[in-house]
Amino acid sequence: MSTPFFELKNISKYFAKVIANKDVSLSVDRGEVLALLGENGAGKSTCMKILYGLYQADEGEIFKEGERISIRTPRDAMRYKISMIQQHFSLVSAHTVTENIILGNVKGKINWKEAENTIQQLAHRYGFNVDVRKKIQDLSVGEQQKVEILKSLYLDANLLIMDEPTAVLTPQEIDNLMEFVENYSRKGNAVIFITHKLKEVMHVANRIIVMRSGRIHGNVLKEATNEMELSRMMIEHSIEELDKGEDKREAGEVCLSVQGLTVVPRNEVPLLHDVDFDIHKGEIFGIAGVSGNGQQELCMTLCGAMKPTSGSILLNNEDITHLSIRKRITLGIGYVPSDRHRYGMVMDMNLSENMFLKASYSKEWNNNGIINRKKLAETTSRMLHKYDVKAPGPYALARELSGGNQQKVIVGREVEFCGDFIIFDQPTRGLDLGAINNVHSAILKEKKNNKAIMLVSTELSEIFALCDRVAVFYKGKIQGIFRTSELDSQKIGLLMAGYTHQEVV
Amino acid sequence: MLINLFSRAVLMSTPLLLGSLSEVFSERTGVMVTAIEGIFLMGAWAGFTAAYITGSLAMGLLYAALSGLLVAMLYAYIVVTLKQHQIVTGTAINILILGLCSFLQRVVFGVPLSPLTVEPLQKIAIPLLSKIPFIGPIFFQQNILTYSIYVLVPLGYFILYKTSLGLVIRSTGENPEAVDVSGISVSRVRFVTVSISGIICGIAGAFYSIGYLGKFTTNMIGGRGWIAFAICFLGNWNPIGAFVGTLIFGLAEAFAILMQANASTILPNELFISLPYILTIVLTISRKSFNVPSKLGVAYYEEH
Repeated sequence: MSTPFFELKNISKYFAKVIANKDVSLSVDRGEVLALLGENGAGKSTCMKILYGLYQADEGEIFKEGERISIRTPRDAMRYKISMIQQHFSLVSAHTVTENIILGNVKGKINWKEAENTIQQLAHRYGFNVDVRKKIQDLSVGEQQKVEILKSLYLDANLLIMDEPTAVLTPQEIDNLMEFVENYSRKGNAVIFITHKLKEVMHVANRIIVMRSGRIHGNVLKEATNEMELSRMMIEHSIEELDKGEDKREAGEVCLSVQGLTVVPRNEVPLLHDVDFDIHKGEIFGIAGVSGNGQQELCMTLCGAMKPTSGSILLNNEDITHLSIRKRITLGIGYVPSDRHRYGMVMDMNLSENMFLKASYSKEWNNNGIINRKKLAETTSRMLHKYDVKAPGPYALARELSGGNQQKVIVGREVEFCGDFIIFDQPTRGLDLGAINNVHSAILKEKKNNKAIMLVSTELSEIFALCDRVAVFYKGKIQGIFRTSELDSQKIGLLMAGYTHQEVV
Repeated sequence: MLINLFSRAVLMSTPLLLGSLSEVFSERTGVMVTAIEGIFLMGAWAGFTAAYITGSLAMGLLYAALSGLLVAMLYAYIVVTLKQHQIVTGTAINILILGLCSFLQRVVFGVPLSPLTVEPLQKIAIPLLSKIPFIGPIFFQQNILTYSIYVLVPLGYFILYKTSLGLVIRSTGENPEAVDVSGISVSRVRFVTVSISGIICGIAGAFYSIGYLGKFTTNMIGGRGWIAFAICFLGNWNPIGAFVGTLIFGLAEAFAILMQANASTILPNELFISLPYILTIVLTISRKSFNVPSKLGVAYYEEH
């Protein structure tokens, strides 16, 4: 057996309360694409951050070509030609592509012209169409990822670690990325690909290592396995099949109607441009698109946090365009925001207080300004039970819960306190499969209760699994509204990338 | 008269420029040196005391620099290493230094019967250049500290925009994570930058005691550290911007001194004394767009 290119032996890492990695041993060879598969929180990223020197292992050793090496900082990792692209890119958005790539890799006076030329040539060689003088903030997410990859190439890395690289890309961008990964590994370099998406794994990897709760639960060659087996290795409990409910051709009455909605900040490009759609009772209406194409603004405008420049919003035939957020809540708009830490909860308050946030003026527990804590706690307990939230009780701090359970609390709150219309903005982002399933069930249940639901998602699988109709957003405009049965991921991908309906069909 | 006014304006803008230039570098790494007022005062006291005792202005400047370094390191230790709040920490240090200087002044000198003075820094006329009409007396008959700013502004600009060091400094204030992932210690960048700022601000403080008046009083800084702090904002975190800003304030201050000297005006003296402070408020409000370093004032927790 030949010596592996890089090898981790018996790595363990403990954080204050949890075991992040226990006895993890893995290796990667030159020319190999290794997929590290597992649910969120399975310890994939931790393990790779140890290899990249961002964390220190508490136990275990690292070898390069059979020789023991010590990696204490990313600088050490770079010396051994290891490079890692973080899930959330670490680029300076106010700086140019060149500035970002040479950061930390040059000495003394910078010869800007020479640096720009070198990097532009490098980009050409790998077929990356990136202008090295552009600022990061003017680039799309896909281009930003190319900058991250270029940075690794500039450092001449032989081992490239990518943490969930496809999470933010369009299907076409994913194809390009996969092509790059294949080319790069063919040149005798190694790639470790962290992901929780089975499909990608089967597409790109030579070998797959499955992690679960910090340990390795399988090490298989692609040829010797299939998606079913992998998902069994990945998840402890099986997932119940979702019942989408009947695909209603004759829709119920219109609940929410959006007409010509436009948001234009002063002297800037429109964030939303002439958006028109209706959502019927008992319908799940999907909003698909690469994130940052106006979905956030649409949600904010509907819930009242952002003022539209023109257009109108009707809820049950009542014009709510100029109503305050609070009035809209009373009228029955629920909103599960995409960034739950920022807009969804106060992390340092307990669960019943977080419940109270949305309905603080409700007579039920607000007695002339004094909170009836007992009643509030009772309601919260009931809700925790109903939505299967794993929490010690209504007085537990929001921060102490896992992401999935926090999300269940928010979903519960919005569903319980709202009347007719609920916005779910990327409700399953960053959750593990169990929690995703739970949230999906809650959404489908509300559909059965004849509520109108708007689901914003960047995960196409989610859109196809849940929605009756879908609107594809691109640069603040609707590319088209379709029944989900009329589309496939190829078509929707092209629409998301800005192709028009005519070009696609 | 006009030459006199402008010459004095350049003189008075010297410490403000040293202060705001330090602030530009520190804030580009994400740390506001809110202890700047205290560092100025410490430098003023240490500079005066050392110069008085040794009889050497050079020793005065050396001790001013050292005392500034010490205060800045204390500040950096609290806000960078211990990651405490920058405004609270700076305010506490400023109050501490005010008390400390009054106390030390009393301990070292007791209650002197006549005011203690040293001979302030001499003006040095640069041969040839100082002979240029109008320009010469304004820019080239100044003391050594003022000459230093002619070098420091272009040097500061060069370092910030043309060198790898500058790139690291700018990136640290914008996205420290990117710096961390490139294998550079964010804490070290911040700590060292704030420390060097302390040295320069200490010297700036000494300008008021030994560079200009030749004496020391505990209220002699009188908010000028804060003005330097504000100029950094007004100058959009750019050495050139800071230079322009300090000239405006230097002019305001020179104007106030001139008006005080010719007490024959209709308007009350206090109005002219308060001119730089009023100007700070007006300019801060009227400034439209700011390129604030996005992580200014935010502590960075290294993952490892």
